[in-house]
Amino acid sequence: MNCETCQELIHDLVDGSISQSDESLLNTHIKDCLDCESVRQDLASIVGFARTRRGEYEAPPNEQALWLRIRNVIEAEAIARDRTGNRVASSERQPSFWERLMGHSWELSLPQLVASTVAIVLLVSLTTVVGLRRWGTTEIPTTQPTAIVGTSDISDRILQREQALTYWKQRVEINRARWNPEMRDVFDRNMSTINEAVANSLNELKKNPHDDVSEQMLNEAMNDKLALLKKFSDL
Amino acid sequence: MKTRSLTWRPSVRAGLFAGGLVVALVCFSAAATVSAQQKISKRYPGGKNVRVELRNISGTIVVESWNRDEIKLTATIESKNTHVVPKQVNQCLSVDVMSDNRGRGDIGDINFKLQVPVNSSVDLETVRGNISVTNVRGGLVRAHVSTEGDIELSNIVASQVIAQNISGNIFFDGEFLGGGTYDFKSSKGEIQIRIPGNSAFRLVAASPARRIVLNDFWNNNMKNQDGRKIVGDVGDGRASVSVTNFMGQITFLRR
Repeated sequence: MNCETCQELIHDLVDGSISQSDESLLNTHIKDCLDCESVRQDLASIVGFARTRRGEYEAPPNEQALWLRIRNVIEAEAIARDRTGNRVASSERQPSFWERLMGHSWELSLPQLVASTVAIVLLVSLTTVVGLRRWGTTEIPTTQPTAIVGTSDISDRILQREQALTYWKQRVEINRARWNPEMRDVFDRNMSTINEAVANSLNELKKNPHDDVSEQMLNEAMNDKLALLKKFSDL
Repeated sequence: MKTRSLTWRPSVRAGLFAGGLVVALVCFSAAATVSAQQKISKRYPGGKNVRVELRNISGTIVVESWNRDEIKLTATIESKNTHVVPKQVNQCLSVDVMSDNRGRGDIGDINFKLQVPVNSSVDLETVRGNISVTNVRGGLVRAHVSTEGDIELSNIVASQVIAQNISGNIFFDGEFLGGGTYDFKSSKGEIQIRIPGNSAFRLVAASPARRIVLNDFWNNNMKNQDGRKIVGDVGDGRASVSVTNFMGQITFLRR
Protein backbone atom coordinates (compact mmCIF):
# COMPACT_ATOMS: atom_id res chain seq x y z
CA MET A 1 0.00 0.00 0.00
CA ASN A 2 1.32 3.45 -0.82
CA CYS A 3 1.05 6.57 1.36
CA GLU A 4 -1.66 8.17 -0.82
CA THR A 5 -4.04 5.20 -0.55
CA CYS A 6 -3.20 4.90 3.13
CA GLN A 7 -4.07 8.52 3.85
CA GLU A 8 -7.40 8.14 2.03
CA LEU A 9 -8.20 5.12 4.19
CA ILE A 10 -7.20 6.95 7.37
CA HIS A 11 -10.35 9.10 7.01
CA ASP A 12 -12.49 5.95 6.90
CA LEU A 13 -10.58 4.61 9.89
CA VAL A 14 -11.22 7.72 11.94
CA ASP A 15 -14.91 7.71 10.86
CA GLY A 16 -15.14 4.04 11.81
CA SER A 17 -16.37 3.04 8.34
CA ILE A 18 -13.30 1.08 7.26
CA SER A 19 -13.53 -2.56 6.22
CA GLN A 20 -11.61 -5.17 8.20
CA SER A 21 -9.30 -6.08 5.31
CA ASP A 22 -8.48 -2.40 4.62
CA GLU A 23 -7.84 -1.84 8.32
CA SER A 24 -5.33 -4.64 8.52
CA LEU A 25 -3.53 -3.39 5.36
CA LEU A 26 -3.55 0.12 6.81
CA ASN A 27 -2.16 -1.01 10.15
CA THR A 28 0.64 -2.90 8.41
CA HIS A 29 1.56 0.20 6.43
CA ILE A 30 1.29 2.57 9.40
CA LYS A 31 3.57 0.36 11.46
CA ASP A 32 6.41 1.11 9.06
CA CYS A 33 5.54 4.63 7.90
CA LEU A 34 6.01 7.40 10.42
CA ASP A 35 4.50 10.03 8.12
CA CYS A 36 1.19 8.17 7.79
CA GLU A 37 1.20 7.39 11.50
CA SER A 38 1.61 11.09 12.17
CA VAL A 39 -1.30 11.94 9.81
CA ARG A 40 -3.48 9.34 11.54
CA GLN A 41 -2.70 10.77 14.97
CA ASP A 42 -3.27 14.36 13.86
CA LEU A 43 -6.63 13.51 12.27
CA ALA A 44 -7.69 11.39 15.24
CA SER A 45 -6.85 14.20 17.66
CA ILE A 46 -8.75 16.80 15.57
CA VAL A 47 -11.85 14.58 15.25
CA GLY A 48 -11.57 13.62 18.91
CA PHE A 49 -11.37 17.28 19.95
CA ALA A 50 -14.37 18.20 17.79
CA ARG A 51 -16.40 15.30 19.23
CA THR A 52 -15.61 16.13 22.83
CA ARG A 53 -16.43 19.83 22.35
CA ARG A 54 -19.64 19.29 20.36
CA GLY A 55 -22.32 21.72 21.51
CA GLU A 56 -19.95 23.71 23.66
CA TYR A 57 -19.60 26.68 21.30
CA GLU A 58 -21.08 29.80 22.83
CA ALA A 59 -23.75 31.86 21.06
CA PRO A 60 -23.07 35.61 20.73
CA PRO A 61 -24.20 37.44 23.87
CA ASN A 62 -26.82 39.56 22.10
CA GLU A 63 -27.88 38.23 18.72
CA GLN A 64 -30.19 41.13 17.91
CA ALA A 65 -27.46 43.72 18.52
CA LEU A 66 -25.08 41.75 16.33
CA TRP A 67 -27.53 41.65 13.41
CA LEU A 68 -28.17 45.41 13.87
CA ARG A 69 -24.43 46.12 13.66
CA ILE A 70 -24.08 44.01 10.51
CA ARG A 71 -27.03 45.81 8.88
CA ASN A 72 -25.53 49.23 9.79
CA VAL A 73 -22.20 48.28 8.21
CA ILE A 74 -23.91 47.12 5.00
CA GLU A 75 -26.00 50.30 4.81
CA ALA A 76 -22.95 52.51 5.41
CA GLU A 77 -21.11 50.74 2.60
CA ALA A 78 -24.08 51.20 0.26
CA ILE A 79 -24.20 54.96 1.00
CA ALA A 80 -20.46 55.31 0.37
CA ARG A 81 -20.85 53.48 -2.96
CA ASP A 82 -23.67 55.83 -3.99
CA ARG A 83 -21.54 58.89 -3.22
CA THR A 84 -18.63 57.60 -5.30
CA GLY A 85 -21.06 56.89 -8.14
CA ASN A 86 -22.39 60.47 -7.99
CA ARG A 87 -18.86 61.87 -8.09
CA VAL A 88 -18.07 59.85 -11.20
CA ALA A 89 -21.26 60.98 -12.86
CA SER A 90 -20.54 64.68 -12.17
CA SER A 91 -16.98 64.38 -13.56
CA GLU A 92 -18.40 63.09 -16.86
CA ARG A 93 -20.02 66.43 -17.54
CA GLN A 94 -16.69 68.40 -17.57
CA PRO A 95 -13.86 67.84 -20.15
CA SER A 96 -10.99 65.87 -18.71
CA PHE A 97 -7.39 67.10 -18.26
CA TRP A 98 -6.22 65.17 -21.32
CA GLU A 99 -9.10 66.45 -23.43
CA ARG A 100 -8.21 69.99 -22.49
CA LEU A 101 -4.51 69.34 -23.11
CA MET A 102 -5.02 67.82 -26.55
CA GLY A 103 -7.62 70.41 -27.54
CA HIS A 104 -5.20 73.28 -26.82
CA SER A 105 -3.53 74.88 -29.83
CA TRP A 106 0.26 75.01 -29.27
CA GLU A 107 2.31 77.95 -30.56
CA LEU A 108 6.07 77.98 -29.55
CA SER A 109 8.83 80.52 -30.29
CA LEU A 110 12.23 79.25 -31.62
CA PRO A 111 14.08 79.55 -28.23
CA GLN A 112 11.18 77.69 -26.54
CA LEU A 113 11.36 74.94 -29.17
CA VAL A 114 15.18 74.55 -28.79
CA ALA A 115 14.93 74.51 -24.98
CA SER A 116 12.22 71.82 -25.05
CA THR A 117 14.22 69.68 -27.51
CA VAL A 118 17.36 69.89 -25.31
CA ALA A 119 15.27 69.01 -22.23
CA ILE A 120 13.77 65.97 -24.00
CA VAL A 121 17.24 64.76 -25.18
CA LEU A 122 18.66 65.13 -21.66
CA LEU A 123 15.71 63.29 -20.12
CA VAL A 124 15.97 60.39 -22.59
CA SER A 125 19.78 60.08 -22.07
CA LEU A 126 19.41 60.10 -18.30
CA THR A 127 16.68 57.47 -18.41
CA THR A 128 18.79 55.27 -20.71
CA VAL A 129 21.86 55.44 -18.41
CA VAL A 130 19.83 54.67 -15.32
CA GLY A 131 18.02 51.86 -17.15
CA LEU A 132 21.27 50.25 -18.33
CA ARG A 133 22.76 50.34 -14.83
CA ARG A 134 19.67 48.71 -13.41
CA TRP A 135 19.62 46.08 -16.16
CA GLY A 136 23.25 45.22 -15.37
CA THR A 137 22.59 44.64 -11.68
CA THR A 138 19.35 42.67 -12.01
CA GLU A 139 21.13 39.77 -13.64
CA ILE A 140 23.03 38.75 -10.48
CA PRO A 141 20.12 38.39 -8.10
CA THR A 142 18.13 36.16 -10.49
CA THR A 143 19.40 33.10 -8.63
CA GLN A 144 18.76 34.63 -5.23
CA PRO A 145 14.97 34.66 -5.36
CA THR A 146 15.12 30.95 -6.20
CA ALA A 147 17.41 30.39 -3.24
CA ILE A 148 15.14 32.35 -0.98
CA VAL A 149 12.06 30.51 -2.28
CA GLY A 150 13.85 27.17 -1.82
CA THR A 151 14.98 28.02 1.68
CA SER A 152 11.54 29.24 2.65
CA ASP A 153 10.02 26.01 1.28
CA ILE A 154 12.34 24.00 3.50
CA SER A 155 11.63 26.26 6.45
CA ASP A 156 7.90 25.76 5.88
CA ARG A 157 8.35 22.03 5.82
CA ILE A 158 10.49 22.14 8.94
CA LEU A 159 7.88 24.29 10.61
CA GLN A 160 5.14 21.82 9.71
CA ARG A 161 7.18 18.91 11.05
CA GLU A 162 8.06 20.90 14.16
CA GLN A 163 4.37 21.47 14.81
CA ALA A 164 3.85 17.71 14.71
CA LEU A 165 6.86 17.23 16.98
CA THR A 166 5.60 19.75 19.53
CA TYR A 167 2.91 17.35 20.75
CA TRP A 168 5.46 14.60 21.41
CA LYS A 169 7.90 17.05 23.01
CA GLN A 170 5.19 18.05 25.47
CA ARG A 171 4.52 14.42 26.32
CA VAL A 172 8.23 13.81 26.83
CA GLU A 173 8.46 16.82 29.14
CA ILE A 174 5.61 15.44 31.25
CA ASN A 175 7.32 12.05 31.65
CA ARG A 176 10.87 13.33 31.95
CA ALA A 177 10.69 13.74 35.70
CA ARG A 178 10.14 10.00 36.08
CA TRP A 179 13.39 9.01 34.36
CA ASN A 180 16.62 8.56 36.26
CA PRO A 181 19.34 11.19 35.70
CA GLU A 182 21.29 8.79 33.50
CA MET A 183 18.32 8.29 31.17
CA ARG A 184 17.78 12.05 31.01
CA ASP A 185 21.42 12.47 29.93
CA VAL A 186 21.04 9.72 27.33
CA PHE A 187 17.96 11.42 25.89
CA ASP A 188 19.60 14.85 25.76
CA ARG A 189 22.80 13.50 24.24
CA ASN A 190 21.02 11.59 21.50
CA MET A 191 18.54 14.34 20.77
CA SER A 192 21.45 16.73 20.30
CA THR A 193 23.08 14.23 17.91
CA ILE A 194 19.90 14.16 15.83
CA ASN A 195 19.61 17.94 16.01
CA GLU A 196 23.17 18.17 14.74
CA ALA A 197 22.25 15.96 11.77
CA VAL A 198 19.21 18.16 11.11
CA ALA A 199 21.34 21.33 11.31
CA ASN A 200 23.99 19.90 8.96
CA SER A 201 21.36 18.97 6.38
CA LEU A 202 19.76 22.40 6.66
CA ASN A 203 23.12 24.11 6.15
CA GLU A 204 23.71 22.04 3.03
CA LEU A 205 20.25 22.89 1.79
CA LYS A 206 20.89 26.59 2.34
CA LYS A 207 23.92 26.29 0.08
CA ASN A 208 22.09 24.16 -2.47
CA PRO A 209 18.31 24.17 -2.05
CA HIS A 210 17.78 21.42 -4.63
CA ASP A 211 20.24 18.93 -3.20
CA ASP A 212 18.53 15.51 -3.11
CA VAL A 213 20.98 13.94 -0.68
CA SER A 214 20.58 16.69 1.93
CA GLU A 215 16.83 16.62 1.52
CA GLN A 216 16.77 12.86 2.06
CA MET A 217 19.03 13.21 5.09
CA LEU A 218 16.85 15.96 6.52
CA ASN A 219 13.74 13.81 6.16
CA GLU A 220 15.43 10.84 7.77
CA ALA A 221 16.79 12.92 10.64
CA MET A 222 13.35 14.40 11.26
CA ASN A 223 11.83 10.91 11.26
CA ASP A 224 14.48 9.77 13.73
CA LYS A 225 13.67 12.72 15.94
CA LEU A 226 9.97 11.85 15.90
CA ALA A 227 10.72 8.19 16.64
CA LEU A 228 12.97 9.13 19.58
CA LEU A 229 10.36 11.46 21.05
CA LYS A 230 7.65 8.81 20.69
CA LYS A 231 9.83 6.20 22.35
CA PHE A 232 10.69 8.43 25.31
CA SER A 233 7.14 9.68 25.71
CA ASP A 234 6.26 6.05 26.50
CA LEU A 235 8.87 5.62 29.21
CA MET B 1 65.95 1.51 66.37
CA LYS B 2 64.11 -0.25 69.14
CA THR B 3 62.46 2.96 70.33
CA ARG B 4 61.42 3.74 66.77
CA SER B 5 59.77 0.34 66.24
CA LEU B 6 57.82 0.78 69.45
CA THR B 7 56.37 4.13 68.32
CA TRP B 8 55.35 2.66 64.89
CA ARG B 9 53.41 -0.32 66.12
CA PRO B 10 50.15 1.35 67.24
CA SER B 11 49.85 3.31 63.95
CA VAL B 12 50.46 0.14 61.89
CA ARG B 13 47.82 -1.66 63.86
CA ALA B 14 45.37 1.20 63.36
CA GLY B 15 46.11 1.22 59.65
CA LEU B 16 45.54 -2.52 59.38
CA PHE B 17 42.29 -2.20 61.28
CA ALA B 18 41.04 0.63 59.05
CA GLY B 19 42.04 -1.30 55.92
CA GLY B 20 40.20 -4.38 57.13
CA LEU B 21 37.14 -2.30 57.85
CA VAL B 22 37.14 -0.86 54.33
CA VAL B 23 37.53 -4.32 52.75
CA ALA B 24 34.67 -5.65 54.90
CA LEU B 25 32.44 -2.73 53.88
CA VAL B 26 33.21 -3.24 50.18
CA CYS B 27 32.47 -6.98 50.43
CA PHE B 28 29.23 -6.28 52.29
CA SER B 29 28.01 -3.72 49.77
CA ALA B 30 28.92 -6.02 46.85
CA ALA B 31 27.06 -8.88 48.51
CA ALA B 32 24.07 -6.61 49.08
CA THR B 33 24.06 -5.58 45.41
CA VAL B 34 24.24 -9.18 44.25
CA SER B 35 21.40 -10.18 46.52
CA ALA B 36 19.28 -7.26 45.19
CA GLN B 37 19.65 -8.61 41.66
CA GLN B 38 17.18 -11.17 40.40
CA LYS B 39 18.02 -13.79 37.88
CA ILE B 40 15.42 -15.68 35.93
CA SER B 41 16.05 -18.58 33.62
CA LYS B 42 13.25 -20.30 31.71
CA ARG B 43 12.93 -22.70 28.80
CA TYR B 44 10.14 -22.61 26.25
CA PRO B 45 9.27 -25.30 23.74
CA GLY B 46 9.46 -24.28 20.12
CA GLY B 47 9.73 -25.75 16.66
CA LYS B 48 12.49 -25.08 14.21
CA ASN B 49 11.10 -21.72 13.01
CA VAL B 50 10.29 -19.73 16.09
CA ARG B 51 10.03 -16.01 16.48
CA VAL B 52 11.38 -14.05 19.44
CA GLU B 53 10.28 -10.49 20.14
CA LEU B 54 11.99 -8.56 22.90
CA ARG B 55 11.45 -4.94 23.94
CA ASN B 56 13.86 -3.83 26.61
CA ILE B 57 14.52 -0.43 28.11
CA SER B 58 18.08 -0.56 29.35
CA GLY B 59 20.65 -3.35 29.34
CA THR B 60 22.31 -5.77 26.98
CA ILE B 61 20.64 -8.34 24.75
CA VAL B 62 22.61 -11.37 23.61
CA VAL B 63 21.06 -13.90 21.23
CA GLU B 64 22.80 -17.10 20.20
CA SER B 65 21.59 -20.12 18.32
CA TRP B 66 21.90 -23.63 19.67
CA ASN B 67 21.05 -27.06 18.34
CA ARG B 68 17.85 -27.58 20.32
CA ASP B 69 14.23 -26.96 19.32
CA GLU B 70 13.56 -24.81 22.33
CA ILE B 71 14.22 -21.30 23.58
CA LYS B 72 16.13 -20.55 26.76
CA LEU B 73 15.71 -17.13 28.25
CA THR B 74 18.02 -15.87 30.98
CA ALA B 75 17.62 -12.41 32.45
CA THR B 76 19.60 -10.60 35.10
CA ILE B 77 17.38 -7.94 36.61
CA GLU B 78 18.95 -5.11 38.54
CA SER B 79 15.93 -3.86 40.41
CA LYS B 80 13.67 -5.92 42.67
CA ASN B 81 10.49 -4.16 41.50
CA THR B 82 10.96 -4.92 37.84
CA HIS B 83 8.53 -7.23 36.07
CA VAL B 84 9.63 -9.51 33.28
CA VAL B 85 6.70 -11.51 31.94
CA PRO B 86 7.54 -13.59 28.86
CA LYS B 87 4.49 -14.65 26.84
CA GLN B 88 4.41 -17.49 24.39
CA VAL B 89 1.76 -17.76 21.71
CA ASN B 90 2.28 -20.69 19.33
CA GLN B 91 5.77 -20.30 17.90
CA CYS B 92 6.29 -16.74 19.14
CA LEU B 93 7.89 -15.77 22.43
CA SER B 94 7.55 -12.12 23.37
CA VAL B 95 8.92 -10.10 26.23
CA ASP B 96 7.83 -6.48 26.50
CA VAL B 97 9.62 -4.85 29.41
CA MET B 98 8.29 -1.46 28.48
CA SER B 99 4.61 -2.46 28.68
CA ASP B 100 5.10 -4.71 31.71
CA ASN B 101 6.67 -1.87 33.71
CA ARG B 102 4.77 1.18 32.48
CA GLY B 103 4.39 3.76 35.21
CA ARG B 104 6.94 2.11 37.52
CA GLY B 105 9.59 4.77 36.99
CA ASP B 106 13.22 3.74 37.00
CA ILE B 107 13.53 -0.04 36.67
CA GLY B 108 17.28 -0.24 36.14
CA ASP B 109 19.13 -2.50 33.72
CA ILE B 110 17.93 -5.89 32.55
CA ASN B 111 20.47 -8.03 30.74
CA PHE B 112 18.99 -10.73 28.53
CA LYS B 113 20.53 -13.82 27.07
CA LEU B 114 18.49 -15.87 24.65
CA GLN B 115 19.38 -19.22 23.15
CA VAL B 116 17.22 -20.00 20.14
CA PRO B 117 16.96 -22.59 17.36
CA VAL B 118 19.15 -21.66 14.42
CA ASN B 119 16.25 -20.85 12.04
CA SER B 120 14.57 -18.39 14.40
CA SER B 121 13.44 -14.88 13.54
CA VAL B 122 14.51 -12.32 16.12
CA ASP B 123 13.05 -8.87 16.61
CA LEU B 124 14.97 -6.99 19.31
CA GLU B 125 14.57 -3.47 20.62
CA THR B 126 16.06 -1.53 23.48
CA VAL B 127 16.18 2.11 24.38
CA ARG B 128 19.76 1.84 25.51
CA GLY B 129 22.36 -0.94 25.53
CA ASN B 130 24.26 -3.30 23.26
CA ILE B 131 22.66 -5.96 21.11
CA SER B 132 24.51 -9.02 19.86
CA VAL B 133 23.08 -11.76 17.64
CA THR B 134 25.19 -14.74 16.58
CA ASN B 135 24.65 -17.69 14.24
CA VAL B 136 21.02 -17.05 13.36
CA ARG B 137 19.60 -18.13 10.00
CA GLY B 138 15.92 -17.24 10.17
CA GLY B 139 13.65 -14.96 8.16
CA LEU B 140 14.21 -11.79 10.15
CA VAL B 141 16.95 -10.31 12.29
CA ARG B 142 16.04 -6.86 13.59
CA ALA B 143 18.13 -5.00 16.15
CA HIS B 144 17.01 -1.50 17.06
CA VAL B 145 18.68 0.64 19.70
CA SER B 146 16.69 3.84 20.14
CA THR B 147 19.64 5.79 21.52
CA GLU B 148 23.16 4.49 22.18
CA GLY B 149 24.53 0.99 22.01
CA ASP B 150 26.62 -1.20 19.72
CA ILE B 151 24.95 -3.73 17.45
CA GLU B 152 26.89 -6.82 16.47
CA LEU B 153 25.33 -9.32 14.08
CA SER B 154 27.70 -12.23 13.43
CA ASN B 155 27.26 -15.12 11.05
CA ILE B 156 23.76 -14.06 10.02
CA VAL B 157 21.92 -15.50 7.05
CA ALA B 158 18.44 -13.99 6.94
CA SER B 159 16.22 -12.60 4.22
CA GLN B 160 15.55 -9.42 6.18
CA VAL B 161 18.03 -7.64 8.41
CA ILE B 162 17.49 -4.29 10.07
CA ALA B 163 20.07 -2.68 12.36
CA GLN B 164 19.59 0.84 13.63
CA ASN B 165 20.95 3.05 16.39
CA ILE B 166 21.82 6.67 16.98
CA SER B 167 25.21 6.43 18.68
CA GLY B 168 27.30 3.29 18.65
CA ASN B 169 28.81 0.99 16.06
CA ILE B 170 27.01 -1.47 13.82
CA PHE B 171 28.82 -4.58 12.66
CA PHE B 172 27.26 -7.09 10.29
CA ASP B 173 28.99 -10.28 9.30
CA GLY B 174 26.87 -12.55 7.14
CA GLU B 175 25.34 -13.13 3.74
CA PHE B 176 22.92 -11.22 1.56
CA LEU B 177 20.27 -13.55 0.14
CA GLY B 178 18.71 -12.99 -3.29
CA GLY B 179 15.48 -11.01 -2.90
CA GLY B 180 16.38 -10.10 0.68
CA THR B 181 16.37 -6.59 2.16
CA TYR B 182 19.08 -5.22 4.42
CA ASP B 183 18.89 -1.85 6.18
CA PHE B 184 21.62 -0.37 8.33
CA LYS B 185 21.34 3.06 9.85
CA SER B 186 23.29 5.07 12.40
CA SER B 187 23.69 8.73 13.21
CA LYS B 188 27.09 8.81 14.79
CA GLY B 189 28.68 5.35 14.92
CA GLU B 190 30.68 3.36 12.41
CA ILE B 191 28.93 0.82 10.18
CA GLN B 192 30.96 -2.19 9.02
CA ILE B 193 29.53 -4.80 6.69
CA ARG B 194 31.49 -7.97 6.12
CA ILE B 195 30.15 -10.18 3.35
CA PRO B 196 31.43 -12.81 0.90
CA GLY B 197 33.22 -11.51 -2.18
CA ASN B 198 30.59 -12.98 -4.55
CA SER B 199 27.67 -11.15 -2.92
CA ALA B 200 25.10 -9.70 -5.34
CA PHE B 201 23.07 -6.70 -4.28
CA ARG B 202 21.75 -3.30 -5.19
CA LEU B 203 23.32 -0.72 -2.93
CA VAL B 204 22.09 2.66 -1.74
CA ALA B 205 24.66 4.09 0.66
CA ALA B 206 24.42 7.62 2.03
CA SER B 207 26.86 9.46 4.25
CA PRO B 208 26.76 13.27 4.26
CA ALA B 209 30.19 13.13 5.90
CA ARG B 210 31.53 11.61 2.63
CA ARG B 211 32.86 8.53 4.39
CA ILE B 212 31.82 5.57 2.25
CA VAL B 213 34.47 2.90 1.70
CA LEU B 214 33.34 0.08 -0.59
CA ASN B 215 36.74 -1.55 -1.12
CA ASP B 216 36.31 -4.60 -3.43
CA PHE B 217 32.62 -3.92 -3.91
CA TRP B 218 33.11 -0.65 -5.81
CA ASN B 219 32.63 -0.69 -9.59
CA ASN B 220 32.58 2.03 -12.22
CA ASN B 221 28.91 1.55 -13.07
CA MET B 222 27.95 2.93 -9.68
CA LYS B 223 26.57 6.43 -9.45
CA ASN B 224 28.57 8.49 -7.00
CA GLN B 225 26.91 11.71 -5.88
CA ASP B 226 29.74 13.84 -4.60
CA GLY B 227 30.99 11.08 -2.29
CA ARG B 228 27.90 11.49 -0.14
CA LYS B 229 25.68 8.92 -1.82
CA ILE B 230 26.56 5.88 -3.87
CA VAL B 231 23.93 3.94 -5.77
CA GLY B 232 24.57 0.93 -7.95
CA ASP B 233 24.58 -2.82 -8.44
CA VAL B 234 27.16 -5.26 -7.20
CA GLY B 235 26.90 -8.43 -9.25
CA ASP B 236 23.35 -8.89 -10.51
CA GLY B 237 21.89 -6.88 -7.65
CA ARG B 238 19.56 -9.56 -6.32
CA ALA B 239 19.42 -8.31 -2.73
CA SER B 240 18.54 -4.77 -1.73
CA VAL B 241 20.94 -3.05 0.67
CA SER B 242 20.46 0.39 2.18
CA VAL B 243 23.07 1.94 4.46
CA THR B 244 22.76 5.40 5.98
CA ASN B 245 25.17 7.08 8.32
CA PHE B 246 24.87 10.76 9.16
CA MET B 247 28.28 11.36 10.69
CA GLY B 248 30.20 8.11 10.84
CA GLN B 249 31.85 5.87 8.28
CA ILE B 250 30.37 3.10 6.14
CA THR B 251 32.80 0.31 5.31
CA PHE B 252 32.29 -2.81 3.23
CA LEU B 253 34.73 -5.65 3.83
CA ARG B 254 35.24 -8.89 2.03
CA ARG B 255 34.81 -12.02 4.12
